[in-house]
Amino acid sequence: MALLEGQGLSMAFGGLLALRGVDIAVEERQVVGLLGPNGSGKTTLFNILSGLLHPTAGEIWFGGTRVTNLRPWQISRLGIGRTFQIARPFVHSTVFDNVLVGVTFRSRDHVSRGEDRRREAERLLATVGLAGKASALAHTLSLGERKRLELAMALSTRPTLLLLDELASGLSPKGREEVVRFYGQLKERGLTIFAIEHSFRVLARVADRLLVLDQGAIVADGRPEQVLGSPRVVTAYLGEEE
Amino acid sequence: MPRRGWIGTSLVAAALLLFPPLSGFHPYYLYLVSTALLFGTLATSWNLLAYAGQISFGHAAFFGLGGYTAALVSLSGLSPWLALALGGAVGASGAAAIGMASARLSGASLALGTLAYTEIWRGIAHNWTAVSGGGAGLIGIPPLTPLPWLPLDLARSRTGSYYLALAFLLLVIAVFWGILRSRLGLAFAAVREEEERASLLGVHPLPWKVLAFALSGFFSGLAGGLYVNMVRVVEPDLIFSHYFSILPLVMATFGGLGTLLGPALAALALYLASELLLHPYIPAFHQLPYALALIVVALYLPGGLAGLLPSPSPLPKRGEGETRHGAA
Ligand SMILES: Nc1ncnc2c1ncn2[C@@H]1O[C@H](COP(=O)(O)OP(=O)(O)OP(=O)(O)O)[C@@H](O)[C@H]1O
Ligand SMILES: [Mg+2]
Repeated sequence: MALLEGQGLSMAFGGLLALRGVDIAVEERQVVGLLGPNGSGKTTLFNILSGLLHPTAGEIWFGGTRVTNLRPWQISRLGIGRTFQIARPFVHSTVFDNVLVGVTFRSRDHVSRGEDRRREAERLLATVGLAGKASALAHTLSLGERKRLELAMALSTRPTLLLLDELASGLSPKGREEVVRFYGQLKERGLTIFAIEHSFRVLARVADRLLVLDQGAIVADGRPEQVLGSPRVVTAYLGEEE
Repeated sequence: MPRRGWIGTSLVAAALLLFPPLSGFHPYYLYLVSTALLFGTLATSWNLLAYAGQISFGHAAFFGLGGYTAALVSLSGLSPWLALALGGAVGASGAAAIGMASARLSGASLALGTLAYTEIWRGIAHNWTAVSGGGAGLIGIPPLTPLPWLPLDLARSRTGSYYLALAFLLLVIAVFWGILRSRLGLAFAAVREEEERASLLGVHPLPWKVLAFALSGFFSGLAGGLYVNMVRVVEPDLIFSHYFSILPLVMATFGGLGTLLGPALAALALYLASELLLHPYIPAFHQLPYALALIVVALYLPGGLAGLLPSPSPLPKRGEGETRHGAA
């Protein structure tokens, strides 16, 4: 069984069907990319997988456990972490505290000394290159720094599966290169990654598999070269490269 | 806190400690400043709840529950000291009960819920005559008994309740100080700022919100018990009055949401200005300072109370940002 499986996932917002019976499977230690035009339901799928939304139909399994309809903190404790497309830090808290929250509360029976937690938070900030910003308030960060903080926050709960929503969007070419390197590092650490990117060039370089979502349905699924080799997919669903 | 802040705080603390002898143990002034200290406790506990992102229009409920409990327990012949402690416990339980509503309600609708909650308790106190004495309330509440290890007059006189009120205020400030440096403070701030994000990081918001309500209710209940002990009567329309809900809110927002000492200092300043400066001369307008304080807050912070909610500048370490408010 795959680490993450979703079967027949549907999501209706009033009359709008954002997801129409989506099946997904993410194998352990793979990087699976999710592509699709604006409004195709990519973020909605992540919202369902992380427990922020409950699907109108369908089932989700993670590590063999049925997690459909579990609440976000339960899913987080089971080992799914996520980032947001538009960074959502605790803006009036320090960068350090932003990361400390997950380190402190990731497990219900987590007993660790405050000092250990602080050291771990410092390490996480160093990993994403924010060590020098630890005492800055999160709302003073630049866009690129916010993206790094998003990643550090997602890692703070020690997830086994990371859902990354457009980590590379809005970044300079240099920033994108860095994101590509991050993907590599995360994979080396043994993490499983399910990543939305607007840029298929980024995904083509990091993903083991690609899924393409269009109007709430999966329209392509396969190795990157297969999926991206199909001219239909490129012109119809991926749009212009930013 | 900057050095000037420490000096100012030490001066206020010294003045409060020395006030009884300085006033010649004048009963009226002792009573007045004691009441101001009780408002300081209420404002600080209101602020503690707001630190966890929960706005209350109903602290009178917790204050009144503490007051009625203390009155009933001490009238039943049990120790008035025990009565005070139970007042705190019942204040905490009553607050935790309405805190459960934060599973469904948030922001203004939760605040209105707490307002309605106060009305429910006022109604109960009015109608459950056999226990509460109905609209006339309860009278003849016994004074605090001397404790072997406390000087006699500390327990029975106005000086006694004065120092007790001061002790309650210092206690709630100390507890808040500790919370801000602990996991609790981290969870409260996360829930206040971005409940959904916090939940994705393993924080189950409801228990933390209920805990914030319970802590806030505990100190409000203690204050209510001591208040009843000072005035020796308890009536529904007095103790469940919106006065005890709105003033803490005004004092805390004026003093600086999320600051450690701001709400208490604002409570002392506003209450004493109202009672000492305005009441004797223009009694009809003696509540003017509260209104002015609200206007000041509104002018400096457009968006009013709701706009304040997500943006308190927290304490040392946790928020040395560009938005420093409050005296603390
Ligand atoms: N909470 C919600 N309530 C109502 N409609 C929603 C909600 N969330 C998403 N939608 C709608 O569902 C559809 C899918 O949105 P979603 O955000 O999942 O798209 P996306 O693929 O992530 O797009 P983008 O590339 O722009 O990020 C859109 O039409 C969106 O307006
Ligand atoms: Mg999206």
